[in-house]
Amino acid sequence: MNEDRRKILEMLAQGKITADEAERLIAALEKEPARPTSSGSPDPAPKAKPKYLRVLVESHEPANADSPSLVNVRVPMQLLRAGVRLASLIPPQARDHVNGALRENGVPVDISQIRPENLEEIVDQLDDLTVDVDQKNDKVKVKVYCE
Amino acid sequence: MIPFAAEIHIRSRMQRHFNLWVPLAVLWILLFPLVLLLLPILMIGCLVVRIAPFRAIATLWGILTSMADTELAIEFTDRSFSMHLY
Repeated sequence: MNEDRRKILEMLAQGKITADEAERLIAALEKEPARPTSSGSPDPAPKAKPKYLRVLVESHEPANADSPSLVNVRVPMQLLRAGVRLASLIPPQARDHVNGALRENGVPVDISQIRPENLEEIVDQLDDLTVDVDQKNDKVKVKVYCE
Repeated sequence: MIPFAAEIHIRSRMQRHFNLWVPLAVLWILLFPLVLLLLPILMIGCLVVRIAPFRAIATLWGILTSMADTELAIEFTDRSFSMHLY
């Protein structure tokens, strides 16, 4: 029970207001939007739907002048969703071959079952992913995030 | 929406900067008759490899129409390349 409702009931119990007045006050309270209480934390704002997937590859010590020091790619999520649909266009014989190769390498995934909804699940979990790759003469940081 | 322009920026080894605007809209108009000619071949190809041809066309169209706003930037120590599709 919230604070305002308790006060109204106390006023009713003390005879300061009538039952009708209490009913009207409670009805008015119910019409008001819920306010965050001091004891409980307010509900977190709904997460905005990401529009882009950003992939940043930073190399701090490029091995040579021909190695890029920064690769920055921004891909619209819409394009990724459309790309996922490409999996359904793989010919059946090629699909079996790919599935077999994946299974052999310990990835038991049927690529024909990949749907755009699966992408949404990944995106929901993908807030900020950073992968550090240490090579012989190069330190590469791969950052993947949605924005 | 189909990307209607591409902005390409190149910084060369000599520290020269090139800014290039490619009007893709013109390119699409020029390519349209070629696409119409290739469409039957694409459909026959799809049927040969047992793919639904209309689904293939819809998917390719979906990819083309969602390419706008794609950005790509590659930087080297002495040169760089960036591209933005509008």
